[in-house]
Amino acid sequence: MPALSIGFEVHQPYRLNRLFAPDPKVKKKDIANLYFDEINRELLLRIAEKCYIPATMMILDMLDEGFSCAFSLSGTLIEQLEKWSPDALSLFGQVARHRNAEILAQTYYHSIASCFNDKTEFVEQVRMHTSLMHDLFRVDPDIFENTEFTFNNDIAGCVRDMGFCGIFTEGVDRILDWRSPNYLYTCKDIPVFLRNIPLSDDIAFRFTNRSWDKYPLTADTWARWVAQSPGDVVNVFLDYESFGEHLWPETGIFEFMRHLPGELAAQNVSTVLPSVVLEDYSPVGTIDVQETISWADIEKDTSAWMGNDKQRTAFHALEAARVYAKDKKVWRYLQTSDHFYYMASKYGSCGEVHSYFCYLAGDEAFGTYMRILADYEERSLRSTKNRKAAKTLRTLSPETAFHFNSPSGSIGHTAYSLDQFCELVTIVPGDSFQYHLERGDFTCWIQEILGDTELAESIRNCMERQELTDLVCERRQQLWNHLK
Amino acid sequence: MESLKIAIFCWESLYAERVGGLASAATHLAETLAKQHEVHYFTRGQMQDQTISEVHYHYCKPHGNNIVEYCDSMSHGMVENFQTFDKDQKFDYLHFNDWHAVQALHVLQNRNTILTYHSTEFGRNGNKYGDWWEYREISGKEWYGGLIAKRVTAVSATLRNEVMHLYNVPDWKCDVVPNGIVPRQFRAEIDAGEVKQAYGIHPFAPLILFIGRLVYQKGPDLLIEAMKTVCRDHRDAKLIVAGEGDMRQFLMERARDLPANFVGYIPDSEYIRLLNACDLVVIPSRNEPFGLVLLEAWSAEKGVVASNVGGLSENIDTFVDGVKVEPEAGSLAWGINTIMDEPLQAIALGKKGRKKVERVFMWGPIGRKITETYARVVA
Repeated sequence: MPALSIGFEVHQPYRLNRLFAPDPKVKKKDIANLYFDEINRELLLRIAEKCYIPATMMILDMLDEGFSCAFSLSGTLIEQLEKWSPDALSLFGQVARHRNAEILAQTYYHSIASCFNDKTEFVEQVRMHTSLMHDLFRVDPDIFENTEFTFNNDIAGCVRDMGFCGIFTEGVDRILDWRSPNYLYTCKDIPVFLRNIPLSDDIAFRFTNRSWDKYPLTADTWARWVAQSPGDVVNVFLDYESFGEHLWPETGIFEFMRHLPGELAAQNVSTVLPSVVLEDYSPVGTIDVQETISWADIEKDTSAWMGNDKQRTAFHALEAARVYAKDKKVWRYLQTSDHFYYMASKYGSCGEVHSYFCYLAGDEAFGTYMRILADYEERSLRSTKNRKAAKTLRTLSPETAFHFNSPSGSIGHTAYSLDQFCELVTIVPGDSFQYHLERGDFTCWIQEILGDTELAESIRNCMERQELTDLVCERRQQLWNHLK
Repeated sequence: MESLKIAIFCWESLYAERVGGLASAATHLAETLAKQHEVHYFTRGQMQDQTISEVHYHYCKPHGNNIVEYCDSMSHGMVENFQTFDKDQKFDYLHFNDWHAVQALHVLQNRNTILTYHSTEFGRNGNKYGDWWEYREISGKEWYGGLIAKRVTAVSATLRNEVMHLYNVPDWKCDVVPNGIVPRQFRAEIDAGEVKQAYGIHPFAPLILFIGRLVYQKGPDLLIEAMKTVCRDHRDAKLIVAGEGDMRQFLMERARDLPANFVGYIPDSEYIRLLNACDLVVIPSRNEPFGLVLLEAWSAEKGVVASNVGGLSENIDTFVDGVKVEPEAGSLAWGINTIMDEPLQAIALGKKGRKKVERVFMWGPIGRKITETYARVVA
């Protein structure tokens, strides 16, 4: 008979302002109002009313009766609760201090910083989160839950080095092969909890699915499934917003939860905290995760955030923005995974899930993101080491980016920075290159938009593609050296 | 891994004389290998030697009254260049592409040599034997190259069987190493409606694209026949036929009552626009040693209906990343209709195809395969 370990991820992002337009008159201290959407407050209040307050009150009752569960709260959520819904925050405070609940660590900004090559930013954000948990709730998390369960060998090693005793990730079939997720494993010498995907999705996704042959799902059925699972401990991890927000109260989700402890007890299944699992059970094997996995969609990889060219463009621009980030706060808000999630272009049932969570369409999300990142870098130019180099290497908005064309129209390749220009200029078709060369577009763009007169002059008389590429790439390298 | 010194012999390259798909295949392979090894590329061209992306290009200026003489002259020029760079540190492996440089292979046959077949004269002639002197001369060189090379590779299992059958290349000597692709070159963010409108097509009308030479081997006539059926079920369907060839007049006569637009030869940039704007790519070839168009369509995440022949047959998993049909009008029409009935399914097939490209057809893994073949030369 396995034990059951239930955890909840609680997070709200600062959604970006859909109507953003650069406004030099806005002072630096008011920048948040310019970058972030007013809808954040509205949505937070709605979710607090529908989910955070009623669900947490229910959970508190359950905790008193001996039910145990883990919570992972993001820093951006806590900030918004402090501002707009202190009631909900105090409820979470009660949960955090409850002996039957455990608080997990994550990145403060619920960010994708763990995917950066350089892990220092990731480490920094985890530290920020643990000190927030300590200051706010007087708890010191021992177990780590990365943004949307993003995980690979490097992340495991990094989290181990920070001193955590365990880490959560998805029980992905291709990693486990024939093995069961209902045991403790290790990766790079740190214990790993693997989420049981079917049992978690029964609640999170299938609960309201009328075409599912097990509909309607009741607590006793689900408890029986848990009891019948082989293994030591079944890890179930859910978006907390499932209660009341994704699944409305009318679906019966609250009744399901209220009856769950009793039904579990009837089946002799006990609920345990992750730290207790670590004490009671020892790892049965090791997992080796070369690729990056996560709990997103059916791919269970990073394709929800870095699956298409736009997302990758935005991600690389964000990573490169480190040198511009004197005011790290805004840069870090921009690292929140949700911004990338909105840019996804997926079809089928995953696409439907994406569009449910998105407050704007993929293309629009990308445009907004790049505009804000470009504006942020532009404002930071003064504080960089070499202002001229920084201007030339900065990220551009869709309005100032270089759009490759042919005589008959767009060919769909766009360079949002000099870095990307170097990459694209070698892969665009020869006739498109020739078209721009003859019109003098390259010189013009480098001169007017990037403001690099020296480079513009040196390529003015270039007639060969290779020669131009070499000159631009060499100059780019030189400028980065100035900046670093 | 130890760094090798590799010589590549090919009659075309991306940065000088460029004729067809061989230029991009050989150049990309050279650039991939150059990331770990020292690569010298011997080719022809009217320019000074140069180094691009770590690959050293050495050019010669051949002359000749016909293609065979011309290639012999080129081979000798290549060997001359080769000797200059072979002095201090000897080359480890010599990699020849197609028949053009077989004369050079002959001179250097005692070294570690590899010959890659991208196609055969028999296949280029529409799977028919020829009886004129060039045909005999060229297939003679293809046979001789296969005989003296230490190892041979072919771009698909079909082509491998073909060279084994035609030229008696023994089974143990021959590997399959497919061509690669740079998918980023073909996937672009394009407003499909705008491109369709530029061709006078309604933005929401489903667009079928055919690209290739208009010759019997590529089967455009089958597609035109199939369109007659397709248009009965999908009245809004449109066809664009891109490419030139002997059959153009004949095809245009046949397609007089069909919503087909023959746009002739198109530049690369226009190809990318059309490829990304269309809803379906059809490859109705009767013979296809590899079928690069398939990888290009997959790179752009497009659904594909293709003939069940050669490289196409090997690479497509039907109803997973494309639909395979018989090279015959009725079967083709069925395949096209099946995909057009379920537009979302077509997109899913295209996405699966793109995944396959990233898994199997990136130059990185293919470079590794080639070095494995190199290693077998000395084993």
